[in-house]
Amino acid sequence: MKIVVLSGKGGTGKTTISTNLAINTKNAILIDTDVEEPNSHIFMKPEIEDTISVTKDYPKVDIEKCTLCGKCGEFCRYNAILPAKNKVLIFKEICHDCGGCQLVCPTGAIKYEKREIGNIYCGTSKYGVKMKYGDLNVGEVSGVKIIENLKELVENEELVIIDAPPGTSCSTVAAVEGADYAVIVSEPTPFGVSDMKMVVEMLRNMNIDFGVIVNKAGLGDDEIYEYCDEENIEILQQIPFDLEIAKLYASGSILSHEIENYREKFELILNKIKK
Amino acid sequence: MKIAVCAKGEGLKALVDERFGRTDQFVIFDMETKEVKTVENSAKNAGVGAGGQAVRILNEENVEVVIVPEVGPKAVDALKAFEIKAYRLGESKTVEEAIKKYESKDLKEFELNVVKGGLRRV
Repeated sequence: MKIVVLSGKGGTGKTTISTNLAINTKNAILIDTDVEEPNSHIFMKPEIEDTISVTKDYPKVDIEKCTLCGKCGEFCRYNAILPAKNKVLIFKEICHDCGGCQLVCPTGAIKYEKREIGNIYCGTSKYGVKMKYGDLNVGEVSGVKIIENLKELVENEELVIIDAPPGTSCSTVAAVEGADYAVIVSEPTPFGVSDMKMVVEMLRNMNIDFGVIVNKAGLGDDEIYEYCDEENIEILQQIPFDLEIAKLYASGSILSHEIENYREKFELILNKIKK
Repeated sequence: MKIAVCAKGEGLKALVDERFGRTDQFVIFDMETKEVKTVENSAKNAGVGAGGQAVRILNEENVEVVIVPEVGPKAVDALKAFEIKAYRLGESKTVEEAIKKYESKDLKEFELNVVKGGLRRV
C-alpha cells in the first residue's frame, strides 16, 4: 500500500504527519519526494547506507554531420536546442530529456550524454524505519526524474509513506501518481483551505481516495470544517496548535515518539486509512 | 544594416520594453532605407528559453544590432552564436530616442562575454 501525504500550502505539517505515520507502522518505508527541500531525514536521522546519483540525458550535436536544417529546434517545446549560424546551442538545464531531437534529426547528428541532477540517499532511521530521500542539485529546474526513481526503488515494498512536495505542480503529481490513498494535511487558515481545494481537485482528477488531517487546529477559522462537510470529505484526525508540539518539532523530535497520547492518535489514523 | 529595439507597441513612437526575451514587439529600423517594421515577439509566452527564441526571430529578420534593457544568460549565448550585437537602452524612453542615441554613439555596447547568473550553467 502506498500512502501519500500532501498539502497544497507549504508548512502545514506534511513532514510531521509522514514521519509520525512512518514510525508507528510496521514494515513501513518512508520516501521524501520533496526533492527541492527534503527535510524528513532531519527528524528520522537515518544512517545513510547507499547514495544513488540521478542523471538526465542532454543532446550533443556532431557538427560534422549537422546540416543546420533547424528541425531539432522546431521540435523542442522547451527551447533547449537552438541551431544558430555555424553551431547548435544546447541549454542543458532546460532539456526535459524526451529524446525527440534525435528522432527528428535527418542526419543522425544527435547523441545523448548524461549529467547529474541530484542524488537519492537510502538509509535506516534511528527509529528502525527505512527511508529514502531525494535531493535536487541547486539550480536544477525539475526534480520529477528523481521522484520517479525514488518510487521505482520502493515499488515492491509492503507499505510506503510518501512525503510529497507542496503545491499541485508536476513534482506533486509525480509523487502522488499510483498512490492508494492520500492524506491532505491542512491548517484551518484561509490560505490553507484555498490551497487544499486545489489538491482536492487534483486528487479527484487522479481518482485517488483521500482524507484530511487538520493540523494546528484552533488557529484561523471554521472554513475548513464547512468545506469538508459540504464536499463530504472525511477529517481523519486533528492536531492542536500547541507550543509544546512546535518545541518538539524545532528540536528535531518526532511527536508520537515523545508523547504517548499522540502515538494512539497516529495509530487511529492508520487504522482508518487501511479500511 | 537593420537595428531592433524591444518595444511595447508599434513603430518609432512606441515605448521601449524593459524585457528582452519577453518583450511584446521588436521595432526594426533599416539604417539605409529608413524603413520601419514591427515584429511580434512570438517567444514572449514561452515557458522557458524565451531569450534564445527571441534571438532566433531577430536573426530571421536579418537584424545585426539590438538595443536591449538587459539580457539573460541564454540570450547572451544565442546573441553570440547568431553574431548579433547588443547595446544598452540607457535612459531612452521611446524606440525613436533609442535609435537616435545609437546613431550618435551614445549607447553602451553590452559586453556579451561577462554576463553571469540565471540558471546554473552546467
